[in-house]
Amino acid sequence: MNLKATLLCLGLILGAFLQPAFGQNITATGKVLNRSTGNPLEGVTVKEQGKSNVTTTDASGTFSISVAKGAKLSFTFVGMSPVTVQFNKVGDQTVMMDEATTNLDEVVVIGYGTQKVTKVSGAISSVKGTDVQKLKPVRIDDAIQGASGVNVIQSGSPGGAPTIIIRGIPSYGGNSPLIVVDGVPQTQGDLNSINPADIESINILKDAATAAIYGVKSGNGVVIVTTKTGRKNQKTEFNLSSTYGFQEVVRTVPVLNASEYGAIINEGSTLSGGDVIFNDLSKLGVGTNWQDEVFKKAPIQTHSLTARGGSDKVTYFLSGGYLSQGGIVGGIDKSRFDRINFGTNLTFDLSSKLKFILNANYVNLSSKGVQENSFNSIIGSALNFDPTVPVYNNVPNTVGQYGFSSRLLSEVFNPLTKLENTYNKNIGNKFFGKFELQYDVLKNLKLTTRYGYTKYNGNAKTFTPSVFYGINNVDNSLDELGNPVIGRHNSVAQQKSTNNTFTYELFGTYNFKLAKNHHFETVAGFSLAEVSGNAAGASRQDVPFNSWEFADYTSATGNNSATNLNANTGFYYQYRSRNASLFGRINYDYNDKYLVSVTARRDGSTAFGKDNKWAFFPSGSLGWVVSKENFFKSRFIDFLKIRGSYGSLGNDNVSPTFRTIQTDYLASLYGSGNSIGYTFGSTFISGSTLGSLGNDELGWETQTQMNVGFDMNFYKNKFNISADYFQKKTKGLIYVPSISATLGTIPPPPANIGSTKSSGVDITLGYKDRIGKNLKVSTSVTFTSVKNSVTATNNEGTARLVGGGYFNGQSQTVSVFEKDQSPWYYYGYRTDGLFQSAAEIAASATQTGAQPGDIKFVDLNGDGVIDSKDQTQIGNPFPKFTIGWNLNLEYKNFDLSVLTYASSGNDVYNAMERNANNTNKFRSVLSRWTGPSTTNDARSPRYSFVDANNNSRVSDRYVYDGSFIKIRNIVLGYNLAFKPVMKVFKAVRIYGQVKNAFTFTKYEGFDPEISGGLDNIGIDRGAYPLARSYSVGLDLKF
Amino acid sequence: MKQLQIKLTGVLLLAMVFVSCNKWVDYNPKDDFKITDQEYLRSEADYRAMAVGAYAPLQWLNQLVPVGDMITDNSVSGGESASDVFSLQQIDDFSHGPINFTLSDLWQSSYEGINRVNYLGQYRDKNLQGETISFPGKDALYGELSFLRAYYYFTLVKMYGGVPLFVEKRLTLAESGSIPRSSKEDVYSQIETDLTNAIAALPVTQVEQGRATKYAAQALLGKVYLYQKKYDAAASMLENVIGKFSLVTNFSSIFLPSGENGPESVFEIQYSNGSATYDWAHQTRGQGNYSVQQCGVRGLNGSAAMPYSSGWSTNLPTQNLAAAYEAGDQRKAGTVLDIEAYKTGNPALNVTYQVAPYKNTGLYNQKYLPRKGETSGQIELNYSNNFRTIRYADVLLMAAEANNKATAANDIKAQNYLNQVRRRAFGNNAHDILTTGATLYDAILNERRLELAMEGERFFDLVRTGKAATVLAPLGFVAGKHELFPIP
Repeated sequence: MNLKATLLCLGLILGAFLQPAFGQNITATGKVLNRSTGNPLEGVTVKEQGKSNVTTTDASGTFSISVAKGAKLSFTFVGMSPVTVQFNKVGDQTVMMDEATTNLDEVVVIGYGTQKVTKVSGAISSVKGTDVQKLKPVRIDDAIQGASGVNVIQSGSPGGAPTIIIRGIPSYGGNSPLIVVDGVPQTQGDLNSINPADIESINILKDAATAAIYGVKSGNGVVIVTTKTGRKNQKTEFNLSSTYGFQEVVRTVPVLNASEYGAIINEGSTLSGGDVIFNDLSKLGVGTNWQDEVFKKAPIQTHSLTARGGSDKVTYFLSGGYLSQGGIVGGIDKSRFDRINFGTNLTFDLSSKLKFILNANYVNLSSKGVQENSFNSIIGSALNFDPTVPVYNNVPNTVGQYGFSSRLLSEVFNPLTKLENTYNKNIGNKFFGKFELQYDVLKNLKLTTRYGYTKYNGNAKTFTPSVFYGINNVDNSLDELGNPVIGRHNSVAQQKSTNNTFTYELFGTYNFKLAKNHHFETVAGFSLAEVSGNAAGASRQDVPFNSWEFADYTSATGNNSATNLNANTGFYYQYRSRNASLFGRINYDYNDKYLVSVTARRDGSTAFGKDNKWAFFPSGSLGWVVSKENFFKSRFIDFLKIRGSYGSLGNDNVSPTFRTIQTDYLASLYGSGNSIGYTFGSTFISGSTLGSLGNDELGWETQTQMNVGFDMNFYKNKFNISADYFQKKTKGLIYVPSISATLGTIPPPPANIGSTKSSGVDITLGYKDRIGKNLKVSTSVTFTSVKNSVTATNNEGTARLVGGGYFNGQSQTVSVFEKDQSPWYYYGYRTDGLFQSAAEIAASATQTGAQPGDIKFVDLNGDGVIDSKDQTQIGNPFPKFTIGWNLNLEYKNFDLSVLTYASSGNDVYNAMERNANNTNKFRSVLSRWTGPSTTNDARSPRYSFVDANNNSRVSDRYVYDGSFIKIRNIVLGYNLAFKPVMKVFKAVRIYGQVKNAFTFTKYEGFDPEISGGLDNIGIDRGAYPLARSYSVGLDLKF
Repeated sequence: MKQLQIKLTGVLLLAMVFVSCNKWVDYNPKDDFKITDQEYLRSEADYRAMAVGAYAPLQWLNQLVPVGDMITDNSVSGGESASDVFSLQQIDDFSHGPINFTLSDLWQSSYEGINRVNYLGQYRDKNLQGETISFPGKDALYGELSFLRAYYYFTLVKMYGGVPLFVEKRLTLAESGSIPRSSKEDVYSQIETDLTNAIAALPVTQVEQGRATKYAAQALLGKVYLYQKKYDAAASMLENVIGKFSLVTNFSSIFLPSGENGPESVFEIQYSNGSATYDWAHQTRGQGNYSVQQCGVRGLNGSAAMPYSSGWSTNLPTQNLAAAYEAGDQRKAGTVLDIEAYKTGNPALNVTYQVAPYKNTGLYNQKYLPRKGETSGQIELNYSNNFRTIRYADVLLMAAEANNKATAANDIKAQNYLNQVRRRAFGNNAHDILTTGATLYDAILNERRLELAMEGERFFDLVRTGKAATVLAPLGFVAGKHELFPIP
């Protein structure tokens, strides 16, 4: 604390000594040209050094600015090396700018400020706005896949959030990084609301030194999103960008056709002592492939119009966007994500010292969804449903458009019937942005006060109609004649929710120079933040006419009765959490050669026990620009910086804990299952109990991270490489302990009992050159490798968490978080081929129920019995390494971008099969064991209705190598140079784009990229696959 | 001057920041309208509500009833396939180990009940504020709680033998892992203490059906004595209950909704369908009796007059059980339903059903078969059927057994009690048993099987009488291993 107090005061005092200078003004005019092409450059920022007056060049490259006589003017432009020119006299001057071959002039956005890339001593990955705009992602977080140090696992669901893991897995639950949009903290969920056309840059703060200024929120890394702003003294420039395309499923999963299915079902039945079910297989034919029925071509389109410009006092960037993404599962009518954006970034110079920044955005989001990622989801049903059933119902005297099975009478239904009866909509309106005042107290001392906000209002509705699924189907709520089944009702559920966050910040920045070469950039301040919200909802049965049109609480007629308390229900809940923080940072460099950065943050959070409210997160980094040394004389190496950092970060991703008394029966049942209430005779009494345990000592999860790395440019600055090694240790891991069952069913509170360790390497290698006159090449390859390990859970090391549940006739769990293992590794039995004979079974460890053709499990502990103690690690969902490759070529008027992403060593667990007697099977069952020596592949045991050996237990039988190489994006563009057109437009570009063009993988499912919570990564229950899309687009500048 | 101003402003600003920051991150559960333990147990109503909460885990023990028969020759697990209801399959096949969801759920549920009783015990005299809350009937209320704790510990001891024993307080997180197993004898001794206290405090009848009564406590204590082979104590304890209840003439009617809490009912675990839940994550924890849905006939359909609902073909009675009934014993029809015979015998009902796909016996559990109109909401989870936990017939058979085995054996009394049960079964005294000694003992035990089949008693009776090894060995029972369930 004292450190920062002193700092702020120091800053304020030092500033007082410095006085602004005044002098005689002249008007500097001239023209800026590109030296290699001779073309005028538009939009070059022209700024008097050390002053605030600034302008930009117009379309003919000309500028005019009032400056002090003898002033130095700096010219900066994206992609060009900056130039400084002294102006002594009135009259036009021509300024030549060279194309930058180096990245050394770039500036990165960091917490509460910016920094020249050459002065950065921490670890930062950057994604340029132009790359985002080339990819045209639905969500901007899709664009950081391939950035070094970041693992992104994409979601196929329209608008679905990818899983982002920055530098490994520090804790069992939270992995979402902090998102900071134009200085305002948001969450990853909010990234569905940002128009990619607005992005100026995305910077990812990876190490402790750069992230620590965000203290407690930074434990999973920080993603800083910067949007475009206006430009001073520039005429309005419009950008119109439109794409239109369609998406399709990349591949389908091979399942049995009708006659193969019939044969297998017959075999399963007869082998288990039952009857032949299909007497005449020849009548079955190929039947229906339900995947072909549920996957549809779905359109995707994006349109955006932006305007940017400004006068001397006011600058503006305005943007409007529309996006519509249909879903390939069920098509756009049932599955979609739509977004409408309006955004403004305005800057007002209220006086020469006072600047006001207004950033205001409105977003309308609307979506429809289908049931996903379970055996009875739309895809799960398509894989598992009876292929002998015709698409359309041909059974006389029954309602229902689509066919039904006479053998599958529960759980798995005709996916088309499910799809037809899926009705929902989700509409959200969001306002976000900031009000910011910047006051130049003194020269180089600036005070900034900022109020950032996000306000979201959601409105959701789901209609569950009464459905006839088929004769004798246990889930029918309509009978075969279309009459309601007694005791079953249709229902409509509606919900309204609001979420509000605000962050108030006040901080000062003071940059100064001592002696000749000691440069200081300092910042200190505080912030207060609050997240709050509430939701209310109601549901009601008996919607008129069983129809979506009338599905509304107001038109439904259900009333509660003694035997039906669900006819008319409602709920309400609320939440609030608050943080307070003080922070400061000093960046120092000696002559751009020796770099030092010290950061500290003190954080308080409502989440923690009264004994542990506050925590302190310090960090520091050092850098040495070796290439600046006199002794360093290399023709090959143009720039070399060595850097290292160490510091601590936090996590407060929990809710406050305390000892509650549970008095609401239903609330006690749902969630924890710590139910209360009892019925005496027929009188129900709600009852009460202690509902939770508190933990007053609950405190901060602290992470210490060490980072060493270097940045180097070589071979005439054409190549650059940046490499980092890091080690991250999390202590006091917030962990819900698995409790001794003698404690009963009361949910245990989270406690700081675990620790984890991650280490890894991230490397970026870039190459940029102009080959000949017409070919420009720019490419970069990133390499990211992380190793994670849980080093402790509780004192005894016995606590473990299980996740990754699925159902294949048994409720299974796949992933486990426990000591001495990689987080959420897959846990189950190892297989050792198939038993070929009774003799082999007799000679092996005792395995209850085994028969020849069944899977032989490995007796890991050698006790002669196959039991739960023989389970072990059978897979790891997280990749050993990932590689991103971004290639950009420009030849004359053509441009080509190819984005490739590869992931190696990530396992996928195939949990798509329901495995009931009459559900459909994968084609791999055709190579099953049918007699001694037919096969010894544990993936293909004998097939029987009775599985006494429990071949379907969790085992490596279902684990596949999910390594993949994906050509994620190919864009080929052409810049029109047709003169008459160019009179109207400044630039016209047309392009074609293919996303997810190719995937190379050994995994036989839809897609090895399976996103979700950390315990569900890679567990494929029929996850929504990423679509391949083909689009054409047009970019206009005028 | 300017410097001083700036300095002062800076200092003031920082001071303000500190004060406001500290307040800003304070948290009070009242902000979220949450009631904490500090504000509770300050009125009679709070105590009574919490006592109701201590009853709730009784309902969660519903899997114990199917387990008690399924593991024996009375019934099989059934289900959809070998991997459906896997934890029950393992129990049926004697392949269960310490990791078994059903067994660990029963353990955890029993201990939640014990912890809830203990919590009220902690604050019996003084609440957290140090206040003493007195109200009429408080001692009787604590009598109910003693009964409940005894019931929970009895469930544990008969399943697992010696278990961690604690009665002083609700366990804290830190304590929960460190309590060692007590001996079986110590657990039984605590159960006897609790039941003795309950008997002293409880009334013979309660206004609300399903609350523990003096008779229920005496009957349970009689059973507890019997399990320890304390026959003399059992005989005299059970004598208190004899004559206080009566046998219902129509055996099947006991298990109809109209038969709930009837003249034969000493203690029933109550279920209802009036607070319907949809919580599949905790299907045994609602007000409904989940085991009813489990034992239903798969894909069952028929005319509106057909009284049954469909279910999941679990806990299927064996042909061995059906064959154990003599001709003329009305309990056969009241215990097992031969679905095919029912279908052909009632053509007007237009019955269709799916043959049980796994371990089919053709028979279904007639006592707790799902019936139309007895559930609501998520129908699988909300069957209202009470468990007839202690029936008067059970008391009579226990008394018969105790008198037969007592130090001063009274076989006349034993025959009398046994034959009361048999006369109801056959509707006449033509099947009276007049043997004595060991033959009578075997007859009584056989009668327990016939009378209490599908009520979860069989396994524990076989184990406590030492007959498990003989009877269950063909099914996979290993003596010395399977008498107790492994501790989860």
